[in-house]
Amino acid sequence: MSLQASTRLAMKMCDKLGADEAEAYAQRTRTVEVVLERAEIQSERVKVQQGIGIRLVKKKGLGFAFSSDLSKTSVEATCRNALNLARTSIPNPDWISLPTVQKLPKAPTGTFDEKLASLSGNDVLRLAMRAYDAAKEQDKRAEIDDGKFSATVSEIAVSNSHGIDAAQKGTLLEGFLVCIAKERGEVSSMAFEYDISRSMKFSPENIGKSAAEKAVASLRPKATESFVGQVVLDVDTASTILLYPLMSSVNADNVQRHRSLWADKIGEKVAVPLLNATDDGLLPNGIGSSTFDAEGVPRQKTPIITRGVLKGFLHNSFTANKEKRKSTGNASRENYNTLPIVFASNLIVEPGKKKLDEIVSMVDEGIIVRRFSGNVRTDSGEFSGIAKQASYIEKGEIKYPLKETMISGNAFNALRNIVAIGRETRPTFMNSYVPPILIDKVNIVSKK
Amino acid sequence: MMLDTLVKCLEKSTADHVETRYHRRQTLNISIRDGKMDELNKGFVEGVCSRAMVKGSWGFSSTTSLEEKDIVKGLKDATSLAKASKPKKRRMAILAEVKPAEDSYTTKMKRDPRRADQEELVRLVKDTDANVRGFSKKIVSDSVVFSVIDDDLAFASSEGARITQRIVRCTGRVMATAREKGNLTSAYESIGEQSGLEVLEKTPLIGVGKVAAERAHKLVSAPVAPGGVFPVILENKIVGLLAHEAVGHCSEADLVHGGSFLAGKVGKKVASNIVTLVDDGRYLGGLGTMKYDDEGVPTEKTVVIEKGVVKGFLHSRETAYEFKVHATGNARAWNFEFDPIIRMRNTYIETGDQSIEELAQGIKEGYFLKGGLGGQADFTGEFMFGTQEAVKIRKGRPEESLRGVTISGNAFAVLKNVDAIGKDFIMRAGMCGKEQINFVGMGGPSLRTRVMLGGVTK
Repeated sequence: MSLQASTRLAMKMCDKLGADEAEAYAQRTRTVEVVLERAEIQSERVKVQQGIGIRLVKKKGLGFAFSSDLSKTSVEATCRNALNLARTSIPNPDWISLPTVQKLPKAPTGTFDEKLASLSGNDVLRLAMRAYDAAKEQDKRAEIDDGKFSATVSEIAVSNSHGIDAAQKGTLLEGFLVCIAKERGEVSSMAFEYDISRSMKFSPENIGKSAAEKAVASLRPKATESFVGQVVLDVDTASTILLYPLMSSVNADNVQRHRSLWADKIGEKVAVPLLNATDDGLLPNGIGSSTFDAEGVPRQKTPIITRGVLKGFLHNSFTANKEKRKSTGNASRENYNTLPIVFASNLIVEPGKKKLDEIVSMVDEGIIVRRFSGNVRTDSGEFSGIAKQASYIEKGEIKYPLKETMISGNAFNALRNIVAIGRETRPTFMNSYVPPILIDKVNIVSKK
Repeated sequence: MMLDTLVKCLEKSTADHVETRYHRRQTLNISIRDGKMDELNKGFVEGVCSRAMVKGSWGFSSTTSLEEKDIVKGLKDATSLAKASKPKKRRMAILAEVKPAEDSYTTKMKRDPRRADQEELVRLVKDTDANVRGFSKKIVSDSVVFSVIDDDLAFASSEGARITQRIVRCTGRVMATAREKGNLTSAYESIGEQSGLEVLEKTPLIGVGKVAAERAHKLVSAPVAPGGVFPVILENKIVGLLAHEAVGHCSEADLVHGGSFLAGKVGKKVASNIVTLVDDGRYLGGLGTMKYDDEGVPTEKTVVIEKGVVKGFLHSRETAYEFKVHATGNARAWNFEFDPIIRMRNTYIETGDQSIEELAQGIKEGYFLKGGLGGQADFTGEFMFGTQEAVKIRKGRPEESLRGVTISGNAFAVLKNVDAIGKDFIMRAGMCGKEQINFVGMGGPSLRTRVMLGGVTK
């Protein structure tokens, strides 16, 4: 059965069962992936995941049932399960309604690539090998520890009892390598590099070259004194440390649940005037771009922070209904077997003018962190962890790689202590587009 | 029944060696947030996979269809993938000998969740939520989730293995958020066991909720712990993270082969004399317990470090052959979409004999670290994991509580510095991500050592 046939069948069934409201979300993804381990192909797999999830409301009681079987009998049984669960469930007084039909925007460009969709296991393997060879070519001391390259085609269909009935498809190509460098018995820490794209505009060579470069650059590390200073956060690190708390604080669900420190701060200054951030679900070629969100609501562009001032929050239909406003199209589902939550589509931090080396040259005493292995408390903003592939900076110059160094601080303070924003922006695995960011007053902890 | 289908399909194989697995995972999720029903979910995901070997090269394929023709097609796909990828592989896989088992296993349980009264479970989650919110005025938000993960597995191989397993896991999680004068903090606690619903009698969800609420309440206006290297007591609940993140990963034979810290160290001393660390596939109630792994190998209690000395590693059949040892039953797959890789099962440090007071007495100035958060490790042994609370210890006495920070160190330096081990052993439930996620047990007693705290510098 096609996905849309299954969601339509589910709607008929739920109607027959006497549901007050119902929604069916069906998904099929085909992933071709190649896993590298111990510098070799560990496995090649073709995975097809499919299934349907049914939300059913009866007297404000919400039931959700799912199944990986899309046959008629299974879809109907899943509807009946959803009804039984809705009856067992405790009515939620906050429940208003599933979303109603809105005109869908034109599909964002560059979200489906025929060539990517037809990649075979061998094609993906060739991409992995190109990255592998580039790493080897970059530096003989570099070794590949592990990596994974995958090409995914996903199709989605959503139907609900208010007339939403939509389908879309997309492609995604991802790859990463973890490299170490070995020299005279010394083993460097693990360096990570990746690329992610909706099309074949993807560079395995860059992945390999950069992973090897980072690993080699972290050989012969030294400890430093503990101090409070400036830290250059490279893209991934900036994204993890600054954007997770930011995303969590503009998530309307957290706002409504008193779990956001920005709950009453719309119109107030929450960051330096340098910072502009937008959520754009329609970004051309965007990693998280689509025509509609996981509830069938149109994607849109939502300003989050303009010149340091908090402008808006992200909603799905549930959080929007609670405030009698429109959803921002930020309903997100990990899979057909989970309920929609609020999540960013493409969270874009506007790039600045300075190149990374110009930013480094601004630092009198500080460090640059290229990988962060630690914890970020998204609600309170505390971050604390190991600074990996980190180097000590003195008088604007990178001096030596660091070992056994940790950084800690608070992301909300850090947003007010941004000194500079770089220009080399790129997508990350968490649906964000972030340039390198220089922040001040970070705790740098070392053994010495 | 599925086993018979698998066996029938195996007959059509042309590969040198082939394994097929059926997996049906049924889950029930009950979630209440801020006093309101958030989720009542139930459903299943099922499918079959085939792994075929041709001249030392593996191929893998999976399908969500249970029809014989689709399973046979999957088998053929796996076989052709194995043939196609053969020229690109430098290493030939050879499997260690294992006697093919014909057996069946079911999680030991008293209250089978398949016969559960769902309304009763919803009430339990609701009561816990009410208790958390009622703990104090500072608690402004909470969520309580109870889940049952009920797996049916069947395994058949061309060598003649015929295995069925039913593995039932129950887990519960509580998050409590406290707010006071513009400060905010959240605390997390969890339970989890391989068992029926009797887990709720042993570790009541309400009790777990209270620990989380109490911690959030206490820490909302507390400062963050300082940075630097300090003597610490790691609470029993987080010692499993040390065993798992810091040491366990380095003992996985695939990482050992790649040059992990433990490579070439069998028979060498890497930890203090009082440290014995094991990975046990049969630990009663352990979240990572299975009688057979996903290669059909019987699991066992594998000693990694005995009294400070490295004894052995965790193996699949392939690495066991390479290392010339027996397969330890550590090849596990998250579900039918994945081929098995080397994973820990229930990893723990064995118990000692000291009380918490005795452990504290050895510390002039340090911290008692409680409550775990996420962790990670490099195979050089450099690890990190988060803690929620750091109780200051002065002259052997616990004093004020501070907000916990991430701690780090080199695992083996930390293990060498273990100078006292507690008697409060506990096994905890965990999830581990290594290419694919999986359920694991992590355990141990409280112990005393030195670590670096990633906190505030002066």
